[in-house]
Amino acid sequence: MRLENVWLRYHRRGPWVLQGIDVRIGPGEVAIVLGRNGVGKSTLLQVAAGVLRPGRGRVSGRPARVGWVPERFPADQPFTVARYLTGMARVAGLGRAAADEAVTSWIDRLGLSAFRSVRLPELSKGTAQKVGLAQAMLRPPGLLVLDEPWEGLDATTRELVPELIAEVLAADGSVLVSDHRGETVRLPAARRWLVADGSLAEETSSTDETIAVVEVAVPAARVAGTVARLRAEGHQVLRVRSDAATAVPQGGPAEPLPAAGAAPPAEPPISVTGQPEAADAAVEPAAGEAR
Amino acid sequence: MSALIRMRLAGFLRTGRAVAPLLAGLITLGILYGGGRAQPAEAYGVSAVVLFPVLAWQTKILLDVEPDVQRRLAQVTVGVARERLAGLLAAAVAALVTVAVALLFPWLVGGVSGPVDPGDRSIPVGLALGLWAHLLVVPAAVALGALASRASVGGAGYGVAVLALGGVGAVVLGLTGSVAPWLAPPIMAAARTTGGEAAALTLLGLSGWALAWSGAVVGGYLWRRRAQG
Repeated sequence: MRLENVWLRYHRRGPWVLQGIDVRIGPGEVAIVLGRNGVGKSTLLQVAAGVLRPGRGRVSGRPARVGWVPERFPADQPFTVARYLTGMARVAGLGRAAADEAVTSWIDRLGLSAFRSVRLPELSKGTAQKVGLAQAMLRPPGLLVLDEPWEGLDATTRELVPELIAEVLAADGSVLVSDHRGETVRLPAARRWLVADGSLAEETSSTDETIAVVEVAVPAARVAGTVARLRAEGHQVLRVRSDAATAVPQGGPAEPLPAAGAAPPAEPPISVTGQPEAADAAVEPAAGEAR
Repeated sequence: MSALIRMRLAGFLRTGRAVAPLLAGLITLGILYGGGRAQPAEAYGVSAVVLFPVLAWQTKILLDVEPDVQRRLAQVTVGVARERLAGLLAAAVAALVTVAVALLFPWLVGGVSGPVDPGDRSIPVGLALGLWAHLLVVPAAVALGALASRASVGGAGYGVAVLALGGVGAVVLGLTGSVAPWLAPPIMAAARTTGGEAAALTLLGLSGWALAWSGAVVGGYLWRRRAQG
C-alpha cells in the first residue's frame, strides 16, 4: 500500500494537517506512527484505513480487508458485546455460523466472556477498547490500523496486542500503529514513522541499540527528583502517573526504585526507557521487553 | 450490505428514538382524520403531504443514532458507497413501515368512506392513488432527512434548519401559482392530483419529478458527506 503525495485538511480554508505524505508499506511490515499530540497521527492512520479521503494525492494498493481500531471505541450503542460483534461480523461478510464462531473465539481470546451480554455503554474504557480490537480482527485483515491500541487495556491484553500484530504480519498483512505510551518497544521489527508539521519522516536506527521499558514505583513525594535523576542519566521518562494501588505503605521500604530482579509492582507509576548498557540498578531491561 | 441495514435499523429501534417520529406521525394523522370522513384518494393525498416532514425527521434521527466513529467503522468494513447506500436504504425501510401505518390508520379510525356519488373513484383506485402519493413522498423525505443528518451538515442546528426549510419549502413552493415549484418535491401537486383528475401522464410526470428532485438532494447529501470526510 502506498500513500502518494497525500495532503489533507479538515476544512476548505483550514490548515493542512498532512502535507505531501509519500510513504509505502509492504506485506508483512509494521510501522509505528510517532509524534506529538495533534500533529496528525490519527489523521494519517484514518487516511490509510480509508476513513478519510485525501484532499490531494491518493492511496493506492490498500488491501481489500481493513481492520481499524479507533482511538476511542464508540460505546454509545444499544447492543450487547456479543450482538455488536456478531453484527459487525455479518457486516464484514461472514455467514451466520462463521460469524458466531469468530465472535466466540475473539470474546474468549480477549477475556470478554464475562461481558458477553453486557451492553456497550456499560463497559469500562478498557473493556470497550477490547471490543474495538475484536471487531477489527473478526475477519483477518490485510491491513490492520491501530490508533493507540494500548490505551486503557489491562496488562494481559497489552501483551496480546503484539501477538495480534504478529498474526497479521505472518499472514502477509501490514500493520500501522500509533502510540504515545512507549508500548511499541514491544514491536522490535517495526519501522518508525515520525509525523511532525504535517510531514512524515522515517526514523532509521543509527546503531543496533537495545531498548527496554522499565516501570518503577516511587513515593509520590520523590517523583520529581527521581524523574530528574533518570533524565540526567540519559533515560527517557515516558510517563508519570499516580496509582493508589501501588502506593508505598507507611514505614515501608524507602527505596525509590526497585533493585534489579525485584518483583515489579502491579501498576507502577513511572515508565522509563533506556539502553540496558547505560542503565544502573534502577533501570534494568524487563524480561520479555528487551530487544 | 443487508447486515449493515439491519444493524442500523436495530440501533434505531433499540434506542427508542423511533418512537418520537412515529408518535408525531400518528398525532398528525389523528388530527387529519379527526375532522370527518373523506374518500381514500383525497385523504391519502393530504396524508402524504403531512407525512413528508415526519419521514424526513425520522430519516435524520435514524442516521444520527449511529455514533460518528461507528459510521466510519462501517465505512472501513464495507466501503464508502455501500455505507452511504445502507444508510439511505435503512431510512427507506423505516419510512415504508411508517407509510404502511399511515395507509392503515384511517381504516382503523373510520376516517375514510367508500364512493358516494356515481362519479367517485372506487376504493381500490383510491387506495392505489394513495399508495402512489405516499411512495412519491418516501424518496424525497429520505433525501431531505439524509441531507439534514449530522454526517452531512455537522452541527444539530444546521440539520434542524435544513429540515424546517425543506418541510416548509415543499408546501409553500408547491402551492398553485408558485414561481418555482420545481425547487420542491411535488407532494402538493400529488395531493391535488389524487383529489382531482389523475391522468396517467400526470402521474408519470410527477413520479419523474419526485425522483429527479430526490436524486438531486441525495447528490447534495453525498457531496456533503464527501466534504465532511
